[in-house]
Amino acid sequence: MQDDETAQPVGPGREAAPPAGRGRSRALAALGVFGELLITLGLVLGLFVAYSLWWTNVQADRAASQAADRLRGSWAAGPTAGPSAAPGTTPAPGAPSAPERFAAGDDVGFLHVPAMGRDYQVLIRMGTSTEVLDEGVAGVYEQPYRAAMPWDQAGNFSLAAHRDGHGAKFHDLDAVHKGDAVVVETKDKWYVYKVDNTLAETSKYDTGIVAPVPARSGYAGPGRYITLTTCTPVYTSRYRMAVWGSLVRVDDVDAKRTPPPELRRS
Amino acid sequence: MYGFIWRHLPGNTLVKAAISVLLILGIVYLLFTYVFPWAEPLLPFGDVTVDGGDGAASG
Repeated sequence: MQDDETAQPVGPGREAAPPAGRGRSRALAALGVFGELLITLGLVLGLFVAYSLWWTNVQADRAASQAADRLRGSWAAGPTAGPSAAPGTTPAPGAPSAPERFAAGDDVGFLHVPAMGRDYQVLIRMGTSTEVLDEGVAGVYEQPYRAAMPWDQAGNFSLAAHRDGHGAKFHDLDAVHKGDAVVVETKDKWYVYKVDNTLAETSKYDTGIVAPVPARSGYAGPGRYITLTTCTPVYTSRYRMAVWGSLVRVDDVDAKRTPPPELRRS
Repeated sequence: MYGFIWRHLPGNTLVKAAISVLLILGIVYLLFTYVFPWAEPLLPFGDVTVDGGDGAASG
């Protein structure tokens, strides 16, 4: 009895098989193509993740390490001022090279943050445009507030770098805490900062965090500050985070470029 | 779709497989070199600066 009942509905369907079957197989083929397109889309998205989190790092690290070698080479080459000076120009003898002007895209020096790794070193470049930051460097803010350089008498040396992809230089910025050292290395000075405050999360519109006297940093008046910003939480750009420090000391660079004790300790 | 491409590739299975691998590598190369770099700034994953949202300094 049960067999009859289950067989009955199939009967009429089979009789009408030739016309309906052709339409059905066409629908199945279309469904198959649709499915394959979805699989393809999934593969492309997977490749995009690999591109974002791996390949851009490879490219940025390569570009940044070449630029770092060039900068160190130009430093070693002699007393001519940094990369903004055209080759052949002779700077005034005895003039300190520190107050030189840097244009967007020029390399300034290196950022050392022992809390983000023993040999952590990031090239510092003027500007925070996509082109600059995508080269695996820490960019110096030129807007909304023009950053003060470390050798300026007062102001905020504000930097931004990628949290993920394109070098991911500030990936571990959340590992930097109050009291940690942040060192900026230029041609002839070590600028040693100490972290005074951090901000775990803020809006991307919160431009006050890179102001000359950063808002919410706890600093009351003008001083020689440093600000590191990146996006948070990791893998997104929903919020921004900041680390603030103030200048503790300026050391001269010796002939062997011996790092300050803050960088030797770890 | 993939079946259609496979049927229209010349040669025996081995040759077809080799051409397929080359095609896949070529597509991945095009994606990594042209498509993804173009698409990335359009997606909100890499903005690290505070810029008041005008986009001028995002990256």
